[in-house]
Amino acid sequence: MTNAFVTIIIPCFNEGPVLRQVVAELVNEKKYTIILVDDGSVVPAQSLIGDLPVTIIRHIANLGQGAALQTGFEYVKKLPADYVITFDADGQHAPSDIQQLLAPLQDGRADIALGSRFLIKGQQNAPLTKKWVLHAGRLVNYFFSGLYLSDSHNGLRAFTKAAIEKIALKENRMAHATEILYAIRKHKLRHIEVPVTINYTFYSKSKGQSVFNSIRIFFDLVLHKIFE
Amino acid sequence: MNGIKILLITGVAFIAVYFFIRLRNSLLDILLLLVLIAAAIVFILFPDITNQLANKLGVGRGADLVFYTSIIIFWFVILKLYARIRKLEQLLTSILRNKAIEEAQEKTPK
Repeated sequence: MTNAFVTIIIPCFNEGPVLRQVVAELVNEKKYTIILVDDGSVVPAQSLIGDLPVTIIRHIANLGQGAALQTGFEYVKKLPADYVITFDADGQHAPSDIQQLLAPLQDGRADIALGSRFLIKGQQNAPLTKKWVLHAGRLVNYFFSGLYLSDSHNGLRAFTKAAIEKIALKENRMAHATEILYAIRKHKLRHIEVPVTINYTFYSKSKGQSVFNSIRIFFDLVLHKIFE
Repeated sequence: MNGIKILLITGVAFIAVYFFIRLRNSLLDILLLLVLIAAAIVFILFPDITNQLANKLGVGRGADLVFYTSIIIFWFVILKLYARIRKLEQLLTSILRNKAIEEAQEKTPK
């Protein structure tokens, strides 16, 4: 079976130092259509990786990761894609995990596969504060969406095209992770968690979500409940 | 009429003029504004009314009652403004998104 119709969406904002390496690794797999959503980076991604066979969609201003993902989703709807992968641009995901995420979708066991860094024993190399934040995130997600997942904010996910059609992210910033769970519940999408590795480099840690940011996510969720 | 009353009424008058110039779109807004201005002026001229009201509601002083109600009104205004900001943000997002998608140049793997 060919992978020609697997599309990878990479949201990106100021990932200059690692962007080229991350994208090139995926390009080298030679079986994916790659869409990079440049969310208003100061140095346009076009000038960094314009030579690679990657479709670049650029927001002229920074809107947030949720907005970038949704832009990618809207774009993909017009393509002949069967499966859609979301992949962070900061180099924390392993391209080799993509096949594991796709497997349950291709077998028809699930509509959405969510990457989880906590399903592999002994592979808990997350920094301690990060772990606490993610544990708190699980509870918050459970509280808001009723779904208890082992990893609340993992950027590596796989969707079927049909699932993408049902997702409309309105939260521009990081609260979109919970919005995906809302969509899962609302449309009764079958989801599965798949163990993935996270590569905590100095770079990805410095770009990652801080404790303060998670408080902001919480308020975004509360306001989402009030206004939507 | 003492100094503070003149000062406050002038302030209310300025705000009233400003709002009448800015929002002439909805009858409801204008009515609400008129009621609020009238109430403000009455309370400024006869502060004893607020004291009587406060006593009835179990609050010590009229000034405290005014303070508590303004907090609630401010919260309401903040929420309204926030809802407005969210709407604007969603509008901005959809404009930028459509533009970005239109301008995207498709490249497929070689």
